[in-house]
Amino acid sequence: MRDELLSVGIDIGTSTTQVIFSRISIEDMSSGFTMPRIEITGKSVVHRGRIHFTPLLSPTEIDMEKVRDIVGDEYRSSGIRRGDVKTGAVVITGETARKRNANEVLRALSEFAGDFVVATAGPDLESIIAARGAGADAYSRAHSTTAANYDIGGGTSNFAMFKNGELACTGCLDIGGRLVRVEGGRISYIAPKITELCANERIRFFVGDRAEMNILTRIAEAMTALLEMSIGLRPKSSFYPRILTEEGRDIHLPYPLENMCFSGGVADHIYGDLAGDPFLYGDIGVILGRAIRESEALPRVKRFSPSETIRATVVGAGSHITEISGSTIDYDRELLPVKNLPILKLTPEDEADPKSMREAIACKMDWFRAEGRVQPIAISITLKRSPSFLEIQDAADAILSGASELLAAGHPLVVVSENDLAKVLGNTLRARMTRRSPLVSIDSIRVSNGDYIDIGRPAASGSVLPVVVKTLLFV
Amino acid sequence: MPGSTGRMGVILDMYQESDIKQMVRDILRDVLSEQVSAQKQKPGKSVSAAPRDEGFVPDITAESTKEQFFVPAPADRDGYLRMKEFTPARIGVWRAGPRYNTFSMLRFRADHATAQDAVFTDVPEEVLKQHNFLCGQSMCSSRDEFITRPDLGRRLNDETRALFKKELPQNAKVLLMTGDGLSSAAVSANAADVIPSIKQGLKQQGIEIGTIPFVKYCRVGAMDEVGPLTGAEVVCLLIGERPGLVTAESMSAYMAYKPNPDKPEAWRTVVSNINRGGTPPAEAGAHIAGILKKILDAKVSGVDLNL
Amino acid sequence: MLKLKTVLFGKTYEFKTVKELMGKANEEKTGDTLAGIGAESAQERIAAKVVLADALVSDIRNSPAVPYEEDEVTRVIQDDTNEKIYDEFKNFTMAELREYILSEKTVGSDIARLSRGLTSEVISGVTKLMSNLDLIYGASKIQVTAHCNTTIGSKGVFAVRLQPNHPTDDPDGILASLMEGLAYGCGDAVIGLNPVDDSLASVTRILEMFHSFKEKWAIPTQCCVLAHVTTQIQAVRNGAPSDLIFQSIAGSEKGNEAFGMSGATLQEAVDVMKTMGCSVGPNVMYFETGQGSELSSDAHHGADQLTMEARCYGFAKRFKPYLVNTVVGFIGPEYLYDSKQVIRAGLEDHFMGKLTGISMGCDACYTNHMKADQNDIENLSALLVTAGCNYVMGIPHGDDVMLNYQCTGYHEAQTLRTLFGKRAIPEFDTWMIKTGIITPDGVPTDRFGDASIFLK
Repeated sequence: MRDELLSVGIDIGTSTTQVIFSRISIEDMSSGFTMPRIEITGKSVVHRGRIHFTPLLSPTEIDMEKVRDIVGDEYRSSGIRRGDVKTGAVVITGETARKRNANEVLRALSEFAGDFVVATAGPDLESIIAARGAGADAYSRAHSTTAANYDIGGGTSNFAMFKNGELACTGCLDIGGRLVRVEGGRISYIAPKITELCANERIRFFVGDRAEMNILTRIAEAMTALLEMSIGLRPKSSFYPRILTEEGRDIHLPYPLENMCFSGGVADHIYGDLAGDPFLYGDIGVILGRAIRESEALPRVKRFSPSETIRATVVGAGSHITEISGSTIDYDRELLPVKNLPILKLTPEDEADPKSMREAIACKMDWFRAEGRVQPIAISITLKRSPSFLEIQDAADAILSGASELLAAGHPLVVVSENDLAKVLGNTLRARMTRRSPLVSIDSIRVSNGDYIDIGRPAASGSVLPVVVKTLLFV
Repeated sequence: MPGSTGRMGVILDMYQESDIKQMVRDILRDVLSEQVSAQKQKPGKSVSAAPRDEGFVPDITAESTKEQFFVPAPADRDGYLRMKEFTPARIGVWRAGPRYNTFSMLRFRADHATAQDAVFTDVPEEVLKQHNFLCGQSMCSSRDEFITRPDLGRRLNDETRALFKKELPQNAKVLLMTGDGLSSAAVSANAADVIPSIKQGLKQQGIEIGTIPFVKYCRVGAMDEVGPLTGAEVVCLLIGERPGLVTAESMSAYMAYKPNPDKPEAWRTVVSNINRGGTPPAEAGAHIAGILKKILDAKVSGVDLNL
Repeated sequence: MLKLKTVLFGKTYEFKTVKELMGKANEEKTGDTLAGIGAESAQERIAAKVVLADALVSDIRNSPAVPYEEDEVTRVIQDDTNEKIYDEFKNFTMAELREYILSEKTVGSDIARLSRGLTSEVISGVTKLMSNLDLIYGASKIQVTAHCNTTIGSKGVFAVRLQPNHPTDDPDGILASLMEGLAYGCGDAVIGLNPVDDSLASVTRILEMFHSFKEKWAIPTQCCVLAHVTTQIQAVRNGAPSDLIFQSIAGSEKGNEAFGMSGATLQEAVDVMKTMGCSVGPNVMYFETGQGSELSSDAHHGADQLTMEARCYGFAKRFKPYLVNTVVGFIGPEYLYDSKQVIRAGLEDHFMGKLTGISMGCDACYTNHMKADQNDIENLSALLVTAGCNYVMGIPHGDDVMLNYQCTGYHEAQTLRTLFGKRAIPEFDTWMIKTGIITPDGVPTDRFGDASIFLK
């Protein structure tokens, strides 16, 4: 059994807005004599949109209409219709995420782009998406090592490290190529943190100054030094904590960093010295790229080639954010897609016995109240690998009674299991429900507290559901 | 949440307000408990912890071979342990000169002994009673004959034919049957999870399962005789697979629409590798129930059935 | 005039046909009993051997197991027989043929020449007259080499197929077993996977993975994925890097039909490899056989399993294989009951393969429903090396987690090489030294058995 999911990725970044479409192939990897085991077997970008400047109405507001036009144009030029798109993500990144109407734009675009195009934001997620798009996770898995990506964009530099394919840590610095802008040979904009940086470095630098290479290079070198500090290649200065996007959230490498690559708009200037006007883009991206390339400390970490540079984030959003559920599951089709369900995750202690499981669900339900009323959630359980039929019965009873308020409120019962048990659990839940509630029981999906989950419409003749897990927090 | 900025807010305020503080506390606890348990489960120890003090030699079968690692000074220990995660094969076993270490050699022999016992012993009476199986036998009269004469294992002896004809439900929509096959351990280990799960799944489709027969010295072909004998529309046979060393408890489910001895093997739909280390038995039962319903609807089975 | 009866201790034994005689002259095998063609008593078995010993080579050649007109395998065997050499031997009795092979005056090249004039039925017949030690001694005189990327079968060389099977074809899991095997000096014969998923995509994926690993570590060997021949042909046509094309073969046309192929399919494979294969050649095929497989697909035409097995080799020879091995204990106790029958069959098959003139190896193995254990397979492997067997299998600790059977483990390679003064295939041996797992004298170093040297 084979199927394909057409996926869209949309990235609205500090400098650029991009759209790509990719094809995610899924295939039953079982022998035909065992239970189906449908997996993602390939991801290929089928349409790379143009790289557009992100349209702004004002320094604090995104031009929603123009962004929508950009996306609409990319749909038209690719020949792909909204209805063809089965999954995907809109990601709003860098400084753009701080705009007044960012939330509104995100929500509107995800609706506009397709029925199951999820909205995502947050510096950690941004780092992860870019690193996946650059191929750092795949590299670390293939070479049994640690591999990181630094996505150097217009407004931020997003770091994510993987070990053996698993996320190890993330981080974000307010360093980017568009934090200083140049128009007509003069400095037209300096981001507040860069002003602070210059003061700290005793560089006299103001809006309206002539764009002088030696000054700009010194600034770029100071930025590079901060990047080096962030991954332990240079002692941290007293200023360093100021450059962290979120104060107090420094990068702590849990393992030595063995390999790294760069992505983002600045990456192309790190990997190749593109001759010509350094102010072609009206900012210091080219100069920052050069400074990173000429860094003496950074080459101490072995480099690998990123599979994407400027498009890493958008490709990450389009190709690497969708997972698929296990292949033996139970769901009511009319319920799908469901979006933005916060995860109520049970701990191993919660699952210790049916009573504690029931109580934990009922108690944690309180986290998800609005004006006293319980909101739709997804309950995440682990149980053990290969539980007995009786253990499933107990778990089902505990879920039904623990979540009785949820069901009474008319919300669907959405259960996400880590181990392969969703179909028998779904059957059992249905058999034991007193009043019929719509149900989704899926497995082989790992989520954490603080995550949100989106579940799409069935693929592969109904065997699997596409799933996007949005990691909101990463401690 | 440490240092939450406006950008986090973008996501958060997309949803209804929730008790973020409690959530963060909970996450921190998760993370901490994961770290603790990660420290507890350091793989690579050589012999499991059995009650040594009480005069026991440690149980060499207490942990899976996947957890056991014996290479004394590998070039890359972490990498090696990770390699072991990808395969149940016995790797990282090291050596005594060119030969096997005593421990791994004995473990291999222990697993082989389990496999042989699964083949050469009978399903215990109490297991047959526990499930209220209606017990019959193929034309084989001994286990030795069973392993050398597959043709006889496919046919029921006369008493069994008479018994099944008399006692089994006639013209059932689904007849569920069991057989020892090449592993009696498979029936003992999995029946209690697979059977109720199949029943539950079928019941939701309005299909009830009656008395379940058990055939001793059973080959898969026996279902082709039970089908016509009872007039069942679909027959599902749960039977022990030939054991491997990884598990001796693996069971297969063979399903066929109106089976009879003239139907080719391709007429059967199979779900194999049902055991606690492979396809979880309870989950397999739910899946099998779904397939049985599909077979009933499509009135075909095997390669002709589109799953 | 062929005589089909004899008297033994006063009792008369009469056989109606050569086919019946051949069945009853076999050493005891449950498969022949299952087929209803084995001897009914120990005495009858010996009577049949006596009658067979007196038959002429021509009597046996002229009674093929399946008529020439009906069966492609018979035609291949008969057509490829060198008539000139056959004429020299056709009036030998089978007893004389046995003694000719065993005579100290007959050297390897004599047997190699003789081999060209023998049909598979004659080879099966003479095998029935050989004791186990006869089979070992006879086979040890015969050297058959073949070349794919490296040369197998040279004097002093003992090779191993590395079989890194995995229950779900997980690429990382396959690689893990592959690295472990290489660290134990296995894989000089071939790195060959039995895939769970026989699809074109999966076969291609694994071939590419093997190829890039082989390139990365500059391993002088050959790689193969043992899917159906037609799938491999398609994969090679599409550019997949395969050094060998594999197929299971049978001793009758009907048996091959059950495997979904014919001589034409195999010829197509050879031709595809000639133009699109990535190995040096000229030997680019890999076949597996095993006594009893024809009976299991009802394609034995009433002939005994030893004869049908000999016919596999006669058929294989046409396609100049690099490797042929008998998977001797895989089929189960209904064909080979216990370790005694498996050991006998392993020695018979190896001898017959050598006498046919093909590069012969053996998967010395057993299933868990057979009365055999690892000791028996270790015995057989040692006997095979003394017989000059080209290669055996190597799997992690003798336990195949995908096919659910046991055979010779990675550790046997070095043990047997050390015991019998053998080395791996020369280029591979050099690679082992370069990789630092053995010293130039062939002694294992501290890295020997550490698969993690292949990480990074």
